[in-house]
Amino acid sequence: MSDPKKDVSEFNEVPEAEVRSRKRHFSISIVWLVPLVAVLIGGWLVFKALSEKGPEISITFKSAEGLEAGKTKIKYKDVELGQVATIKLSEDLSEVVVTAELVKQAESFLSVNTRFWIVRARVGVSGVSGLGTLFSGAYITLDPGKPGNQTHYFRGLEQPPLVTADLPGRHFSLKADSRGSLDVGTPVYYRKIQVGQVVAYHLVEDGHTVLFKIFINAPYHQYVYQNTRFWNASGLDFKLDAQGVRIDTESLTSILIGGIAFGNPQVEAPGPPAEAEALFILFKNMDEAKERTYLIKSKTVLYFDESVRGLTIGAPVEFWGIQMGQVIDVKLVFDGQKKTFRIRVLIETETERFYEAGFIGDDVERQQLFENLLKKGFRAQPKTGNLLIGSQIIILDFFPDAPPFVVDWNAKIPELPSVPGTLGELKLHITSILKKVDAMMTQVKELSAKLNHQIEPELSDTLQQATKTLVTIQDTLENDSPLQQDLQIALREFAKAARSVNNLADYLERHPESLIEGKKGK
Amino acid sequence: MNQGLKTARNEGLISCHSCHLLCRSAGPDAIMTCPRCGTRLRRRKPNSIKRTWALVVAAFIFYIPANLLPITIVTSLGNAQSDTIMSGVIYFIKTGMWPIALVIFVASIFVPLLKLIILTFLLITVQRKSSWRQKDRTRLYRITEVVGRWSMVDIFVVTILVALVKLGALASIQAQSGAVFFCAVVVITLFAAMSFDPRLIWDTEESLNE
Repeated sequence: MSDPKKDVSEFNEVPEAEVRSRKRHFSISIVWLVPLVAVLIGGWLVFKALSEKGPEISITFKSAEGLEAGKTKIKYKDVELGQVATIKLSEDLSEVVVTAELVKQAESFLSVNTRFWIVRARVGVSGVSGLGTLFSGAYITLDPGKPGNQTHYFRGLEQPPLVTADLPGRHFSLKADSRGSLDVGTPVYYRKIQVGQVVAYHLVEDGHTVLFKIFINAPYHQYVYQNTRFWNASGLDFKLDAQGVRIDTESLTSILIGGIAFGNPQVEAPGPPAEAEALFILFKNMDEAKERTYLIKSKTVLYFDESVRGLTIGAPVEFWGIQMGQVIDVKLVFDGQKKTFRIRVLIETETERFYEAGFIGDDVERQQLFENLLKKGFRAQPKTGNLLIGSQIIILDFFPDAPPFVVDWNAKIPELPSVPGTLGELKLHITSILKKVDAMMTQVKELSAKLNHQIEPELSDTLQQATKTLVTIQDTLENDSPLQQDLQIALREFAKAARSVNNLADYLERHPESLIEGKKGK
Repeated sequence: MNQGLKTARNEGLISCHSCHLLCRSAGPDAIMTCPRCGTRLRRRKPNSIKRTWALVVAAFIFYIPANLLPITIVTSLGNAQSDTIMSGVIYFIKTGMWPIALVIFVASIFVPLLKLIILTFLLITVQRKSSWRQKDRTRLYRITEVVGRWSMVDIFVVTILVALVKLGALASIQAQSGAVFFCAVVVITLFAAMSFDPRLIWDTEESLNE
């Protein structure tokens, strides 16, 4: 632009540009809106990423089978909650530590009760699960559990829990003598409908019982009353009796993996519904569950001064023919005062039976009742239960003649006085019988001696005589004996005579006149 | 250097961008229109440096989410996998498909970044009225213009895949937000390159008194 005027002449033919008035003037170009929008969007993304960034948790697993860092998802109800960030071995190489980034939403329900486990394809007796993961790969899922203290360190479960917190229903505990064939996942049946399952089991600290935790799904948990009976329904129930062969089972599954069934006693009115976590006894089978109505038991001790041969642990204790309990211990004790041995028998009675019979009262009333009964002669007595095998039982009965007895209520186990058993009496009877038999046997002996010494010689003479007689008879009857010969001659003569008579008869037939005229000469 | 050069500006002349009619300028601050087609006449692209700066900054900002956010989600047999541009490149390298990895890397990561860096470089040098290697800088600008559109390859590939792979539960591909940002980067850099006036490189000798 040093000298414009000089050049103008060269471009005279170039048209003049039209001039317009300036309409608008922006001090800031509108184009700056573009980076502004970019900043806004970028800022929003950053804010979103930061605000959605949830907690970082670490979960310990036995093995990271199927897990992949940066890929494996953490899902709950199939909603993605996060992703596995890193997978590392623990310091002692025994475990795998998985760290995962979760969304912010997860923060609120992570607690010490939250359980994590890996969902993989699993094939078990009770079913197949997680087939979808065959294609999609394993993922980690969780059960929020009950609210509790927050934590970011978890121990993953190796097996998926059977019952998650969102499942409606109720937990109960069952006490059993042994685990049997029951396992985690074993179904629980009510009227042959599967209504729940075994969630866990463990040995109680004392080592005597196994405690099962079961879960009954809603709405079936309302059928569990306080007097509901649970029993082991594993396998086949095979019965052979007078009614024939009966085979009973809860389901095919329970034959394979066992099962638990429960029912309510029909004779009783159902009690109040059972509370969650209520404890029940797990009976060995249905019959036992139906019989064993009585759970409250009290112990009583008995002393006997005689042999209790045949009385075994488990022998029934009966009162007027109704079983009230059983013998739980039999042992020999030494009585320091009397310097003699005694038999101490511990029995267990089902106290509830007394309540059922109409007696309701507290401990003091019960003691009074007991003392009253004792005054009337309430005593225990051993009795032969089965003559064939000689087993003994304990019976409770009233013996008005029994000596009075005072109960020591301060003793650890109260004592019930006893009366001598029927076996003792029986023994006396048998002894007297045996004595009589003995006397009888002596008489028999004397008789036989008499027979030996007095009758035998005479008899021998007689026999000799008889022999002689028989020899004589034999001689007489021999072939060449005179008697035989005489007899033969006589018979021959007799035959001749018969022939002569025959001839005479013929002649007479031809010459009947000869009877009168006589024989004519030739 | 180009003191003695006869340029249109030096002669007080102006060319119409639409019909290329040469007109006489009415003065440095006047608003002029082409007497033939009525298009507005400008000596240089208006606010070229400001505009380019704005777009370059915007492109830089979008470049971050474009590379950090996933551009596709491949769902095959229920297994969903989201991929960013870089994870795709790494995947192809891992599976031994070097050429494809190279193409994607060059077209989607290297080229957009290169363009942005070149444009920034040009803007800075123009603003500083640098007369350093003007020819080479112009060549750089031409490279930017030519190569810029090829970055759209990635977007087209994603678009075609999304349209083609619709096999229901078996396999499906979905575009993700990263693709949108990447597209924005490419388009904005195209506009930035367009709004940059390479003549400014050569204007350094003259006083930018307009």
